[in-house]
Amino acid sequence: MLSFLTPARRGSGLGMAMPALLLLLAFFVIPVAGLLSRSVTEPVTGLQNYETLLGSATYLRIFFNTFLVSGLVTLITALIAFPVAWALAIMPSRVAAVVFAIILLSMWTNLLARTYAWMVLLQQTGLVNRILMAIGIIDQPIQLTNNLIGVTIGMVYIMLPFMILPLYGVIKKIDPAILQAAALCGATKGQALRRVLLPLATPGIASGALMVFVMSLGYFVTPSLLGGTANMMLAELIVQQVQSLLNWGMGGAAAFILLVVTLALYALQLRLFEGKAR
Amino acid sequence: MTSPHLHINGIRKTFGDVVATDHVELEIGEGEFMTFLGPSGSGKSTTLYILAGFQDPTAGDIRLRGKSILQTPSHKRNIGMVFQRYTLFPHLSVGENVAFPLRVRRAPQAEIAAKVKRALSLVRLDGFEDRMPANMSGGQQQRVALARALVYDPPVLLMDEPLSALDKKLREEIQYEIRRIHQQTGVTILYVTHDQEEALRLSDRIAVFNRGRIEQVGTGPELYASPATHFVADFIGDSAFLTGELAEVKDGRATLRFTDGTVLADVPMHGVGAQGGKAELMLRPERIDLSDTVGPPGASLPVTVEDVTFLGNNSAVTARTGWGEPLYIRLNFGHPMMASVSRGDKLHVRWQPQDAHVFTKE
Amino acid sequence: MLMNFDKLGAWRWILSGICALMALFLLLPILFIVALSFGNSRWLIFPPPGWTLKWYGELFADPRWLQAAFTSAKIAVIVMVLSVAIGLMASLALVRGRFRGREVLRGFFLTPMVLPVVIIAVALYAAFLRLGLNGTLVGFVIAHLIVALPFSIITISGALETFDPSIEDAAILCGASPWEARFRVTLPAISHGLFSAAIFSFLISWDEVVLAIFMASPTLQTLPVKVWTTLRQDLTPVIAAASTLLVLLTVVLMIAAALIRKGKSR
Repeated sequence: MLSFLTPARRGSGLGMAMPALLLLLAFFVIPVAGLLSRSVTEPVTGLQNYETLLGSATYLRIFFNTFLVSGLVTLITALIAFPVAWALAIMPSRVAAVVFAIILLSMWTNLLARTYAWMVLLQQTGLVNRILMAIGIIDQPIQLTNNLIGVTIGMVYIMLPFMILPLYGVIKKIDPAILQAAALCGATKGQALRRVLLPLATPGIASGALMVFVMSLGYFVTPSLLGGTANMMLAELIVQQVQSLLNWGMGGAAAFILLVVTLALYALQLRLFEGKAR
Repeated sequence: MTSPHLHINGIRKTFGDVVATDHVELEIGEGEFMTFLGPSGSGKSTTLYILAGFQDPTAGDIRLRGKSILQTPSHKRNIGMVFQRYTLFPHLSVGENVAFPLRVRRAPQAEIAAKVKRALSLVRLDGFEDRMPANMSGGQQQRVALARALVYDPPVLLMDEPLSALDKKLREEIQYEIRRIHQQTGVTILYVTHDQEEALRLSDRIAVFNRGRIEQVGTGPELYASPATHFVADFIGDSAFLTGELAEVKDGRATLRFTDGTVLADVPMHGVGAQGGKAELMLRPERIDLSDTVGPPGASLPVTVEDVTFLGNNSAVTARTGWGEPLYIRLNFGHPMMASVSRGDKLHVRWQPQDAHVFTKE
Repeated sequence: MLMNFDKLGAWRWILSGICALMALFLLLPILFIVALSFGNSRWLIFPPPGWTLKWYGELFADPRWLQAAFTSAKIAVIVMVLSVAIGLMASLALVRGRFRGREVLRGFFLTPMVLPVVIIAVALYAAFLRLGLNGTLVGFVIAHLIVALPFSIITISGALETFDPSIEDAAILCGASPWEARFRVTLPAISHGLFSAAIFSFLISWDEVVLAIFMASPTLQTLPVKVWTTLRQDLTPVIAAASTLLVLLTVVLMIAAALIRKGKSR
């Protein structure tokens, strides 16, 4: 099809992109580049900030915490999201609409409000501890905040929608006839699930999992409020170095590591899923 | 001599090295229904876009009522157009869509209301003013688009394959509507299509496009009865081609010799060809008669029947000439040979001298 | 048969059960805060021994809360307008433009969405220290705009992509000048995209925590910053009251967005 948008009549259009381009260059690219450059220039030129970060047990512990929590959050959300997305894809649409409204409501409710709810629910005298004691699982209130358990619960709560929605998109597109064919071929429900539905949903699971993992790696608010200073994660380290210690070199180095991991995982995601879509 | 209503004067358009149209020359009379017929990429749409002002020609001129319109921007050309895709404004009701051209021309409210009503009535969508485009079928949407293009009485209406997205039955229904609207309004229409049946059904005249050029312009019967080129013969109606050698060329008539020595004398010829050059004899399957007796010289050939298929109101016969080329013949129901013809019969095909054409082959 | 709800047998109940539990998991904490905000227990005991409006009273009696809410609203509205305007221009360039590197530019425009906000926040904080923009309205607007713009561009260019440019050509042939065609046809036709982008941008700015913590000064802070600093001190029920109002705003905006979508499919 010939397009009528000939350059002569509409212009190349690059000019229209200028405000956004200049804004991002001045207040995104240059500041981020500046921050990263300070990691190798402050306090003196060299890689000493990276050596400190990757060479001391204290900092490695932070990396370990970050990857552990992100991994756990990804795993738990995936386990919950698959049956939920599957159910949403085949449920009567009225019921599904209600569930969707709840998902969107929770997604768009202020992050601090949601985290606050979990801080209250998970505290020593909180509802969760009281219910657990009432049904006899525990005798004494257990510590659920100011540690990685609290962070993980809070993060699962926040990340669930980001796993359910893409997964739902993938499952919804699966032609029901494929599973009818599987049943006619003699597959039991379990076999059809394992050999047909799961493999077909795998791109959605993997794509959602990568997204949740990457978002968790750089999360600041929830780990900071539910984890406490003793169980720091990477984003908190960056903030601490810059805000409390005014150590821009270390902050920049930690930011650079987070940036590289994030971009690498996104590149992987693009490679894996754009390639398949083509 | 008065100047034609619309004069497409030697239009040439190139995109880099690609020549989209070349030397397109056409005069269209007021109130005429002219169709550009050709395969995709033949330059018919490019010509239309140049008329609309979406593209500027590399060379040539377009004159409407004697005045060049090339310097006029699209929105001031006052030309109406119905597009291949549905182009109703999705946020406006049907009434507002049809009113749009009048509103941008700042027409008075009373005139707008009256003209919209009349235009919708013309396309038989009375009372649809408040419908939204999203709630209409494709056929209805194109009829609204037609009303929108006609509401300001444009001197020329361009239609770019407007029915190609519709199914066959609906297409025929709207073709009939378009014909009626053309007769009722007398608007000059330039219609682009790749469907020969649609072109024949609708047009006063047809311009056959091929590889950026107009191969022939004429009424449907003219194009069918005396095609100027192989392409036209092939594109309009069914045709069979037999390849031979030019034994003699004289006064636009040729003598053809085929590889087994068969000679056909005195056949009307198109194009320039010298003695000894290759040429093709074109025959229409429905204009060939099958007989057990030999016909007049130059209008008859001996053949062997290979296959007969009954198709209801006619039978398709596949025969082979003495030198091995296949020839298709259509026998109407009731033809004396219909019952008796069978595989292996050695018979003669015969035709009226004016039904055979010779095209030279490059 | 796994894709047919009625033929799932017992699995149907398992799936429905998981789905219902998940919905409760997402919904209950929100309802919990709403309930707490009306409860009379200073120590957030649940279920509350009695009901009261005193936390809302405290909230509205404290000028710092109102001040913060007003600042948040002011910033969010400015960000919304700028984000839609700049996003519309950028989307026109991305969808309609004919220049090399269009796909690269699209990817670049979306990077602020991909990068952890904490990196952008720290980097902007450093830059604004030099420019003297920390603790200013301009600083807040720029920071929020950087993260709101990608959503705006995605939403508006999505709407533009489904809009056939032939429709604009049709308007031009009808006699509208190219600018008239844009304003009378293209913009109204993608208005649902513009409204969604506006709502998204507003909410992103309104809810932004991390950037705001860095941009804020003792004299200029947004509502999330006020919640954040209060939360770090103690878990007062006043925050439950503030959160409830935030939830209410979210519900209103979500209903508005849903109505826009419905209006579009009408």
